[in-house]
Amino acid sequence: MSIDIEARVLIAGEASGTALVLDDTLSFWGGFNPGNGEIIDVHHPQYQQFVGGRILCIAESRGSAGTPGGIAETLRNGSGPLAFVLGERDVNIGIGTLVANRLYDLEIPVLEVSTAIMKQLHSGDRLEINRQGIISITNRS
Amino acid sequence: MQLNLLDQDRLDGKLGKAMQFAMETIVTAAHIDQAEALIDISFAHIDACFYNGRAHLDFVNYMLEYGATLAVPSWTNSGLVALNDLSIRDPLTSREMDEARQLMQAYVKLGCNPVWTCAPYQLPGRPELGAHIVGSESNAVSFYNSVIGARTNKYGDYLDVCAAITGRVPFCKLHRDEGRAAEILYDVSKIPQSIRDNDLFYHLLGHAIGRKCGHRVPAIMGLSANCNEDDLKAISAAGSSSGSVPLFHAIGITPEAPTLESAFQNNPIQQTIKLNLDDLRQARNELGTNSDQVLAGIALGTPHFSYTEFERLINLLGRRCIAPGLVFYLTTSRHVLRQVEQQGWANVLEQAGVKIITDTCTYFSPAVNGLCGKIMTNSAKWAYYAPGMLPVEVLIGSLAECVESAVTGQVTLDPWEGL
Repeated sequence: MSIDIEARVLIAGEASGTALVLDDTLSFWGGFNPGNGEIIDVHHPQYQQFVGGRILCIAESRGSAGTPGGIAETLRNGSGPLAFVLGERDVNIGIGTLVANRLYDLEIPVLEVSTAIMKQLHSGDRLEINRQGIISITNRS
Repeated sequence: MQLNLLDQDRLDGKLGKAMQFAMETIVTAAHIDQAEALIDISFAHIDACFYNGRAHLDFVNYMLEYGATLAVPSWTNSGLVALNDLSIRDPLTSREMDEARQLMQAYVKLGCNPVWTCAPYQLPGRPELGAHIVGSESNAVSFYNSVIGARTNKYGDYLDVCAAITGRVPFCKLHRDEGRAAEILYDVSKIPQSIRDNDLFYHLLGHAIGRKCGHRVPAIMGLSANCNEDDLKAISAAGSSSGSVPLFHAIGITPEAPTLESAFQNNPIQQTIKLNLDDLRQARNELGTNSDQVLAGIALGTPHFSYTEFERLINLLGRRCIAPGLVFYLTTSRHVLRQVEQQGWANVLEQAGVKIITDTCTYFSPAVNGLCGKIMTNSAKWAYYAPGMLPVEVLIGSLAECVESAVTGQVTLDPWEGL
């Protein structure tokens, strides 16, 4: 079964892929290795998982001013996500993605959804995102 | 959002490609934060000079290649490496070390004032009360907002630089009067005065508030009138490590909080939390424990050590030396180091076995050489971050406890009323 939801477009773009839903916020400086896309925060529920090639669903980033750099670097070297779906308006993830899109001619979208919608997303779901911010969700079951 | 003619020209590329990229970044940030206007800033503290991979270098090189200049005085944060001693972070590959150095030099070329410090507020030339500025490093954001009363949101990498290039930021959150009202009150007046007079108290308090207050602006009631800027720096750094506290008010002390009513902007106080010794005890436990392991070293200066902290250290140390086998690292800014050298203190400390480092810090990876095992620090920020990034076990103590432990070579804690 597939459903369509409308998200707020922070950075426009198209993407399709499999969701990786993080159960906690994450600092992309210190908690994340931008060299290979691995979550290295030992306290994080998704510790040692890789974000590469997934659509990363996360409430928001945390902490350091270094998050945009971590995002831009992982996107630059190809170890980053295909898109971001956020639960909050997160300037750090948005700006890191914008800079990578401009410098490396990428089209990584960043969308914002409500907390209620966020709860309906599960790791393994198939997501398709268009430039207007419509997300088509196909549950893995 | 309506742009004025100059901003529109910037966005349309009429002032060059670097300005266009910078303006697009500012406008995108305004869109994300749903700001309705942009405002001028008068100063920026730049974090993007801290190396975190090739993308950082590509960004600043793009700006330089297309002729970017800075619209406002912009000072650099600490970098990943110490420019005057690249060897202190041995595990870095030569390529990383070289790129980290190139990045720092690129920001000098762009026109930044190379102060290389996370405590720029210790240097002459502070922004004024109410000035709109750009802060990036979390402790500096909190200190600028809370202690100086300048206005800044927490600007991440790239946005800090784009704001410095355009001189513009989205007019939202802490730039606006209503964004600065206190929303929760922490009362510390029941904590014994002797504890409130100890420098460690402020680190533990900042940690506890950071843990509890979420996204609300906290006010603190009951701080000693004689608490100093080093104490307020400790709250700033600790509160933005364990949590996200870009602004706090200290009633009767910080400039926007002469009274409770002014801190809360006459709004009713929705919630008051009385902090007690248990809260401090819990904070101290969360920031490390005193295991049986042998003490390996001391790390001070997170955020960078101030002149007055050096003065206290010199007095506490006297003519004694650091115990053999211990490492003792102290980080500070070049500016403060020059002041300390003029007093002859740097020499005294170096001869006692203290290694003074400028331009960078010690709490993050890759480890500064020799920093492993059980490390004692006076900094809640160091204690919060280091165990996740370095092969260390950490114990927090007051400055006096750190000094006594360093001299005796074993952990020496004061009998501190149950803490």
